[in-house]
Amino acid sequence: MSQVTDQEVVEATQELGGAEPSSSIIGRTPWQIFWTRFRRDKVALAATGFLVLLAIAAISAPLIADLVGHGPNDLYRETLDEIGLPTVGPSAEFYFGVDTSGRDVFVRTIYGARTSLTVALLATGIAVVLGTILGSLAGFHGRWVDTLISRSMDLVLSLPVLLFSIGIAATCSITAEGCLGGLIEPGVSLVTGIIALFTWPYIGRIVRGQVLTIRNKEFIESARSVGAGSGRILFRDVLPNLAAPIIVYGTLIIPSNILFEAALSFLSVGIPPDTPSWGRMLSDAANGQLYTVAWWMLFFPGMALVLTTLAFNLVGDGLRDALDPRTQVQG
Amino acid sequence: MKKHLMLVALVSALALVAASCGGDEEGGETGPTGPTAETGAGVTQGGVVREELTDFGFTGAFDPTGEYLGTAWSWYQQMLIRGLLMYPGVAGEEGNVPVPDLATDLGQVSADGLTVTFTLKDGVMFGPPVDREITSQDIAFAFQRINTESLVAQYGNYYCGTIVGMTCDAKSQDEPIEGIETPDDKTIVFTLERPTGDLLYRLAQPATYAMPPEVAGCFDKAGDYGRFLISSGPYMFMGSEDLDITSCDTMKPIEGWDPDSHMYLVRNPNYDAATDDVRDANFDGWTLTINTNLEDSYNKLLNGELDLLHGAPPAAILQQYLTNPDLQDNFKSEEGDRTWYLTMNLLVPPFDDIHVRKAANFVVDKAAMLQSTGGPSSGLIATTIEPPSVLPDLADYDPYASPNHAGDVEAAKAEMQQSRYDEDGDGVCDDPACDNVLMVNRNYEPWTEYTPILQENFAEIGINLKVRELEVGTSYTTIQTMNNLVPIAANAGWGKDYGSPYGFDFFLFNTAGLSCEGSVNYSNVGITEDVAKECGDNVVDAYNAAVEANGEIPNVDADMEACVATPLGPEYNACWAALDQKLMEEIVPWVPYRWGAANIALGDTVENYTFDQSAGLIAYSKIGVNNGLTIEEVTGTA
Amino acid sequence: MLRYIVRRLLWVLVTLLLITLITYLIFFVMPPTKPEVNFAGKQPTPELVAEVRRQFGLDKPVIVQYGLFAKRIFLGDEYGWPGLGFSFTTRDALKPIIFDRLLVTLQLAIGAAILWLLVGIPIGILSALRPRSVFDRAAMGFALFGVSTPVFFLGPVLLYIFWFKLGWLPGSGFYSIGQYGFEEWFMHMIMPWSVLALAFAAFYARMTRGNLIEAMGEDYIRTARAKGLSERRVVMKHGLRASLTPIVTILGLDLGALLGGALITETVFNLPGLGAFAVKSVFSGDLYAILDVTLIAAFFITFANLVVDVVYAFLDPRVRYT
Repeated sequence: MSQVTDQEVVEATQELGGAEPSSSIIGRTPWQIFWTRFRRDKVALAATGFLVLLAIAAISAPLIADLVGHGPNDLYRETLDEIGLPTVGPSAEFYFGVDTSGRDVFVRTIYGARTSLTVALLATGIAVVLGTILGSLAGFHGRWVDTLISRSMDLVLSLPVLLFSIGIAATCSITAEGCLGGLIEPGVSLVTGIIALFTWPYIGRIVRGQVLTIRNKEFIESARSVGAGSGRILFRDVLPNLAAPIIVYGTLIIPSNILFEAALSFLSVGIPPDTPSWGRMLSDAANGQLYTVAWWMLFFPGMALVLTTLAFNLVGDGLRDALDPRTQVQG
Repeated sequence: MKKHLMLVALVSALALVAASCGGDEEGGETGPTGPTAETGAGVTQGGVVREELTDFGFTGAFDPTGEYLGTAWSWYQQMLIRGLLMYPGVAGEEGNVPVPDLATDLGQVSADGLTVTFTLKDGVMFGPPVDREITSQDIAFAFQRINTESLVAQYGNYYCGTIVGMTCDAKSQDEPIEGIETPDDKTIVFTLERPTGDLLYRLAQPATYAMPPEVAGCFDKAGDYGRFLISSGPYMFMGSEDLDITSCDTMKPIEGWDPDSHMYLVRNPNYDAATDDVRDANFDGWTLTINTNLEDSYNKLLNGELDLLHGAPPAAILQQYLTNPDLQDNFKSEEGDRTWYLTMNLLVPPFDDIHVRKAANFVVDKAAMLQSTGGPSSGLIATTIEPPSVLPDLADYDPYASPNHAGDVEAAKAEMQQSRYDEDGDGVCDDPACDNVLMVNRNYEPWTEYTPILQENFAEIGINLKVRELEVGTSYTTIQTMNNLVPIAANAGWGKDYGSPYGFDFFLFNTAGLSCEGSVNYSNVGITEDVAKECGDNVVDAYNAAVEANGEIPNVDADMEACVATPLGPEYNACWAALDQKLMEEIVPWVPYRWGAANIALGDTVENYTFDQSAGLIAYSKIGVNNGLTIEEVTGTA
Repeated sequence: MLRYIVRRLLWVLVTLLLITLITYLIFFVMPPTKPEVNFAGKQPTPELVAEVRRQFGLDKPVIVQYGLFAKRIFLGDEYGWPGLGFSFTTRDALKPIIFDRLLVTLQLAIGAAILWLLVGIPIGILSALRPRSVFDRAAMGFALFGVSTPVFFLGPVLLYIFWFKLGWLPGSGFYSIGQYGFEEWFMHMIMPWSVLALAFAAFYARMTRGNLIEAMGEDYIRTARAKGLSERRVVMKHGLRASLTPIVTILGLDLGALLGGALITETVFNLPGLGAFAVKSVFSGDLYAILDVTLIAAFFITFANLVVDVVYAFLDPRVRYT
């Protein structure tokens, strides 16, 4: 799925990167402008609504499980036949049917949202922070710092991500503590770390580009001329101007990180088996072509994954349109 | 040192076994044609058997000297190469008893049991391009290869220390062995260090089969000869005749085998059926293709694109075989002589306490595990270490019985109460040692299905398992590395090397099986402070803590020694049975949960289905195929 | 320009060395799998393990091993040039295996690329010509769906529908032209191509649309229009040329990335390509196989980057920003 990650960001770069930096927003009340524009985008609003509902469901997953009466790891083995195949599809008792262990697919799908959102949001957060710091350092400082950081970003982006993830996760799985004395332990934290590690350069590149352009702008020149120090300029004048692109790219990276997490789980890397995850559920359904006898094992977690990714993409697109000065000019 | 152990005893025991074999257990239900159909009578000649496999999985790159994979042994023996003795390729106990192949009989044993002499048959030839008669020196050469350190004979321990002069650390494969003499081209004499009850079994293993020094001698690293294997059986690698053996440098790997994708066999033109009492060799060719997707392979089989598959089908496909009346005869479930088990580490809390290990034996829902493996066709619920097909004495033994084998939580709690990990005596572990207990597992089905079952079962007695699912090879090396101190593992299974209890479980519980990196005694039965010291400080610490809490780690070396020294026969089996009982009740290193079946699925093209008990696979040398194909049609080389 | 190219080539070299070094460290220094123990069999004695370790060259210090690996790549080994080494599991040369696998991946990637270009670009053009039309909205909605649907969901879904339920297409598995003929091969590749191409087609459609809309607003297009050229000619001749240039370069990058193995597509459809081989090698701890695949994948990526940058450097700077 690294190609999707690539695409998303390249796409965003294509559509935004060539544009002038957001100097035209400066001096106005950008958030108000943004809100009036975003509000007009009904699709993005609906997608936001969906995500809010999903987040609520994810947070209250234990409550939902209580209401349904099935825990995520409860086994209802009476729903399986003699050779362990699930015999109960979507029904009043099990809304989304049961899987090959006799677990409730509905409850697990809800719990899967927790894993998915936690990992994607955390990883994106880390990547944005790392990318912003390193990207602005590279752009602002220039010279050898720029070379070092830029080349590191190139390097990370040319690494075979999935292979490395498999390797790292396998390496850290052989003892109870994980590796490096428990610093990296298989599970949500490891997967989050891996995703952040391979995502920050996307943010970094964009931030660097933006900083490079802003650095030469007149208002920076004037700040410099009144004797402002580098750090002060970076934090007071440059970073605030980066907020809009960072929000847009950050949002656009979330869906690819959701797919990234699902891909890792699909390859059974990292997320422990008793933590429900959509990717893992899909891999269970695909294993042994189980979906030919239990289509629900494939359909429900898959749709949850697609809808969530789609919603984040829609919101990202909406944010970009609302924050992009060009659409303002045209519209 | 062992006085009465004589090959004579073995030979008479073999005769007894052979006579008593017949309508026992698995023999009767092996399919439409029955296991002992007449040689070649009415079986279609010609055709190509098309088979697929998810992975070769060779442990020694298919060089017979080192190869330890049971599947490879079957292919060697049934199709490719010949040795003094072999297994007859039939189902049931009879299938586990060696018969002569290159040798004219089972050998002449001296009165003291220390010298064994074999005579070779006339007129057995190596296949192209070697094209010459096999001599006793070719057998001796195979032993010289086993004896050579750099060739890494993976079961060299069966010969080194047993045959005089064999030490398994020779620097060159040309070094003769003191205890193996070849007075003429047809005679070979083995001199033993001590009488060895099951020597004949060991001489039926493929590492000892005839090997041409002019080709095999060119390869002095482990596994390299695999791509150049010279046939002496009815089949050879496709393209063997093109191998240029004028010198070691002119040899290029034989095309018929590509370790990444396929193995193609065709008839060996030099093979003379008159020299062979066992193999019928009905088909003309065999193609084995690697297909990592088992479902695809099964769909091909159902589609008529294949003739044969080994291994358990995915549940969705198994369902078709079990419910579709047209397919029921095409699916076989045979005794696999294999035990699947959870192994518990005697050094690591909470399993250092025998009561916890007993509680584990009670609490596991073996019925659910069998169900998630595919139900009864995948085997029997195991109640002890050795499967009844290897050790019939214990067929009814079940020290941790529970209703329907679904686990007995009350009995488990009663055991847990006696352990020092349950302070308040409610039968549920309340010690921190029971939190986040690492369990190693495999990362594919059905093992992944075991994870939720075992987590639920162990939670009943307060043990919270943290499961790590790893690739199978990694899972093994993880538990084989002693200083990983893995508390419990579900990835392991063990199958026989040959059908005697010694071949089954000697190393699993003997201190000889202990080592720091490649320990197969995963439970550390009988470990001493000296061994622990070699393997790291954390092992020593664990050892000391375990000894302080539970006393010396129990040891069964002496019991095994006594059993090995017993002559083959009822006494021999009784000795091993007593040992198994001791292990199950006094040491409790395992939770055995399934005696695995061997599953074989056939296309409608296969005739004279026969199960080879020794290999746990179909008897390639007996079956026929009526698809009328030629190797050129199948491989697209026409 | 020449200096630029040389400098970039050197950088490619450095990148490849760094990537293999990182790979080496990850898979060697912290090895979960010990191939030498696996190769020593079911009862691996310390002596056997030590012997195998020596034969595999794993007894030397890490840095020496890496040096030898790098040397073999440049100077070749006993199996010829480039020296890709041997497999720990099969004791056999890796080069022919990797070559065979790469061929499979090529068939997948190139077929999919043709498909996504044929689908994505026309949709993008049509959308751009009638922005905010029903077609545009439907196409862009579909495109968004495309980038949101992962291969490991779409693949099984298509298999379920077209193979299992309808029986219109064969199931997964690879049927080489050589052994099974063109038709079998083609039929078995339809689904993998489609599934792999969907996300790309969606992305290319969005990109074409965006670029074309932007290009159509440029001055020279207005000039062309003012000169009285037909709209069709304006779009085809001027608009497209400007907006497809970035697409060609992206295509280069995407193909470069895919040739390193379309790991998940290969897994889902059971194609014996480089990606599937890489996964297998990682799992079995086949160090040289992992390194080789990593090297090849990284080579394609960095090389595609290089070509794209050089091509860009040659082009008029204005082209770059359209």
